[in-house]
Amino acid sequence: MSQGKEKKHIRAAATVLSCALLVLSGILIPGCTDKGGPGKNEPILSGAPAPNTDDAREAVNFHHNLDGYVPKRDHYNFYFTYKTVHSWWDAVALGMEDAQRQFLEKGVVVTYEYMAPLQASAADQKERLLAAQKEDYDVIGVDVADEDVISPLLDEMIASGRKVMTFSSSDAADDCKRIAYVGNTHNYEDGAELTEALCKKLDYKGKVAILVGSVGAPCHEDRANGAKDVIAKYKDMTIVATEYDMDSVDLAYDLTKTILMNNPDLDGIICCNMSNPVGAARAITEAKSDAVIVGMDHDKEALRYLADGVIYCLGVQDCYSIGFDTLQVAVKIADGNLPGELFPEKTVEITTIIYQEDAAFIFELLYGDIG
Amino acid sequence: MKKIRITNKTFVLTAAIGTFIIMLTVVILTVVSSRRTIRATEDAVYSVSSFYLDAMADRRAKTIMNLIKNNFELLEKSLGFYEDEEIKDQDELRHTIGKIKSLMSLSRYALVDEDNLVYTQYTTYTGGTRHEFLSADVLKDKVISTVYLYGSSKQLCLAIPTENLKIMGKRFKAVFVQIDIKDIVDLLAFDDQGRTSFAIYSKNGENLSGTELGPVVSTHNILDTVKKYISGEEWDKFHDGFMKEVQGSLSFTADGAGETLCFVPIEGTGWEMVVLIRESVIQDRILGISQRNLSSSRAQIIYILAAMLIFAGILLLEIRIIAKKRIEAEQENTNAFKSMANTDALTGIRNKHAYADTEAGLDRMIKDGELAELAVLVCDINGLKYVNDNFGHAAGDKLIKDASALICEVFKHGSVFRIGGDEFAVLLQGRGYETREETIAEFNRRVEENLTKNEVVVSLGYSLLGEKDTRVHDAFERADQMMYVRKQELKSMGAKTRE
Repeated sequence: MSQGKEKKHIRAAATVLSCALLVLSGILIPGCTDKGGPGKNEPILSGAPAPNTDDAREAVNFHHNLDGYVPKRDHYNFYFTYKTVHSWWDAVALGMEDAQRQFLEKGVVVTYEYMAPLQASAADQKERLLAAQKEDYDVIGVDVADEDVISPLLDEMIASGRKVMTFSSSDAADDCKRIAYVGNTHNYEDGAELTEALCKKLDYKGKVAILVGSVGAPCHEDRANGAKDVIAKYKDMTIVATEYDMDSVDLAYDLTKTILMNNPDLDGIICCNMSNPVGAARAITEAKSDAVIVGMDHDKEALRYLADGVIYCLGVQDCYSIGFDTLQVAVKIADGNLPGELFPEKTVEITTIIYQEDAAFIFELLYGDIG
Repeated sequence: MKKIRITNKTFVLTAAIGTFIIMLTVVILTVVSSRRTIRATEDAVYSVSSFYLDAMADRRAKTIMNLIKNNFELLEKSLGFYEDEEIKDQDELRHTIGKIKSLMSLSRYALVDEDNLVYTQYTTYTGGTRHEFLSADVLKDKVISTVYLYGSSKQLCLAIPTENLKIMGKRFKAVFVQIDIKDIVDLLAFDDQGRTSFAIYSKNGENLSGTELGPVVSTHNILDTVKKYISGEEWDKFHDGFMKEVQGSLSFTADGAGETLCFVPIEGTGWEMVVLIRESVIQDRILGISQRNLSSSRAQIIYILAAMLIFAGILLLEIRIIAKKRIEAEQENTNAFKSMANTDALTGIRNKHAYADTEAGLDRMIKDGELAELAVLVCDINGLKYVNDNFGHAAGDKLIKDASALICEVFKHGSVFRIGGDEFAVLLQGRGYETREETIAEFNRRVEENLTKNEVVVSLGYSLLGEKDTRVHDAFERADQMMYVRKQELKSMGAKTRE
C-alpha cells in the first residue's frame, strides 16, 4: 500500500472513531460542548495525523448533495459574520449558496446575511454580533476574529437562548459553549505540516521567518504555533522573525522586505494566511532571494507563484465544502438539534498541501483558465 | 516508297488501337475533369464556409449583444418597482427583488448599497471582493464584466448605476444581474447536425463557455492550442485580432484535418465568439458527392466502353462479312473470266491457253521431281480443210465438235485441250495413264471404224514422259511426230488430208 493511501485510511479511521465518540457523547450528555478530537494546541507531532489529503484532485469538492435530513420548517433566516472581506470567504459563500439552492428545490427557503468588515477586527465583529442577537435570526454563525474577545460573547448569546455556531477558518475557545463548528479543525496541524515540508526542503537547517495574519485570529495563531513547534524540533533551524500582516497583502510585502533586509541570508518563510504568501512572494522575487516560501490558501497570484516555483507549497482548504456544510448544519441547529447523530460538534474539512506540479490543475479547478 | 499491305489483321489491330486510344482519352479527360471539379469545389467550399461561419459567428454574437441590451433594459425598468413600493425592511426588499426576478425572468438579480452590501432575493452579503465592478468607488456608467467564480464557473455581470435610489433610508449605488455563461450557451445552441462548433473566449484565449470547439481546440485555451499548428506570423495576427477585438478567420491543419474558424468580437464584453468547422466535414460531403459523380462517370465510361466494344465488334463482323462477300464475288468473277480465257468456245473443252497453264504447272513439277507418270497425246483431225472448202465452215465446225466428242468420250480420264484449229492434246495421269494402252487402242479402232462410215477421222500420236525429259514439250514433240506417222497411215487407208 502506498504511503499516501495508508495515510488516508488512517485519517478515515480516525474520523470515523471521532464521529462515533461525538455521537456517543451527544447521546449521553446532551448539549455537551466538549469539542473532541485533538486539542487545538496539542502538537500533532506524536498524535493522529491531520485530516488532510495528498491528492490535489480531492482538494476541493464542488459536488455536494444535502443529506436526508428533513427540515422542520419551510423558512430559515441566518446571520453569518466572518473576519474580513476577502475572496477566501467568497469561496465559502458559493458553497453556502449551493446548499441554499438545494434547500429551495426542496421547498425550504433559507435567507441569510453574510457580513464582514473591510479590515479584520474583533471589536467590529463583537458589534455585529451584538446587533445580530437583537434580530430574529434562527442561527448566528461566526468565524471567530479573536477567540479571547468573541468566545465570552458567544457564551452570553448561548445563555440568552441564541443559537450560535462557528464556521469556516476559526473556532472559538475550547471552553466556549457555541453549538457546533464547521471548518478547518486542524489549523495547528496545517501550520506544522507546511513547516515540516519547508524543513525537509532546507535539509533541516537554516533561518526562517513566520508571517501570521490577524493578531488573535485563532486559525492564524494556531498555524503559527504549529510552525513554531516544528522548528523547535530541529536544532539547526532558527526563527528570525514573526510578523502579522493583518490580512493585508501590501503589509505582508513590506514585512517580508524588512525581514530580508535584516536577514539577507534568510532561508525560508512560513505563511499562515492567504495574504502572507502573496506579499512574501512579491518581495522575494523583487529581492531575488532564494528563500523558500510555504503558505496557505488558494489566492490566484499565489498559485501563479507556485506554478513558477517561487512558492514551494500551499495548503489549500476546501472552502466550498465548508460553506455547504455550514448552511446544512445551521438548518439542523435552527430546528433545535444538537451535535450528535445528525451532525458532529466539529465538522472536519480537509486541507491539501499542493506543490508546483499541482498548480495548473488547482488553478483550472478553482478559477478555470484565466491565463 | 514501301507500300503498306493492309490485311484483316491490320484492320482489326487499327480498329482495336483506335478504340483503346479513344477510350483512354475519354477516361483521362473524365478523371482530369473530376479532379478539376473537386479542386474548384474545395476553393468554393472554403469561400462559402468562411462566409457561412462568419455569418454564424455574427449571428451568435448578435444574440449575446441582444441579450445584454435586453437585460440592461430590464435593469432600468426594474428601478421603477422600487419607486412604487414602500419598502420598510429587508424582508420586504427581498420580496420585491424576488418579484422583479420572477416578472422579468432574471437569473441572479441584486442591488448594491453604498457600503457595497449586496442584496439578493435570499441573501445579503458584503460583496467588495466578489464583484469586480464594485472596486470602483462610484459607478458612472453601465458595466459589463466577466465573473470568474471559485469552482471555475463563469458569469456575465451587467450592472447599471442607480442614481438617487434610496430604500430603507439607504442609498443604493447599483443594480446588477449575473447570467451564467452556460445559460447563454443554451440560447446560442441550434441544431446544425454537429457540423460546426462554437465557443466564447476571453481576450487571452480562455474558453468561457465550456463548449468544445472541435476535437483539437476542444475546451483548451485557443491561443495556446492553435500556436502549434500555424506560423508565428499567423499566430501574431490571430492574437492581435483577439486582443484588439476585431473580426477575422483562421485556417489550419491539425492531425491531418483542415479546420476553419471565424471569430467575431462581442461588443462591450471583451469576448470573442468563435465558430469552427472542420473542413473534413465539408470535404467529406463534397467528397461523397464527387465520389458519387466519379462512380457515375466510371459507370458511364464502362457503359460507353462496353457499348463501343460491342459496336466495334459488330462493325468489324459486318465489315468482315461484307469483305468476304466481296472477295467471293471477286473470286467468282475471276473464275468466270479465268474459265472464259481457258475454254474453247466451239467445243467447250479447255483451249490452248489452258494447256499452256497446265503445261507450265507440270513443267514445275518435273523440275521439282514431283511428276513421275505422264502420257502426252496429240490428235489431229484429218480432212478438215477439205470439209471446210467443200462443205462450208459449219460442216467443218461440226467435224471439230465430233472429233472433240470422240476424244473426250474415249479419254474420259484425261485432260483434253484444243490447242489448234484441228489439233487436240490429251494429258493422261493416274487412271488415264494406267489405262492408256487400252484407250489409245480403242480410239484408233473407233477412228478406223469411222473411216468406213465416212465420219470424223482423227490421227493420234503419243509419248510417255521420259526420264531425260525436262519439260512436257519434250514428250509432246515425240507424240507429234508419231501423230504424223499415223496421219500417213490413215491416208493410206483412205482418209482425207489437207494435201
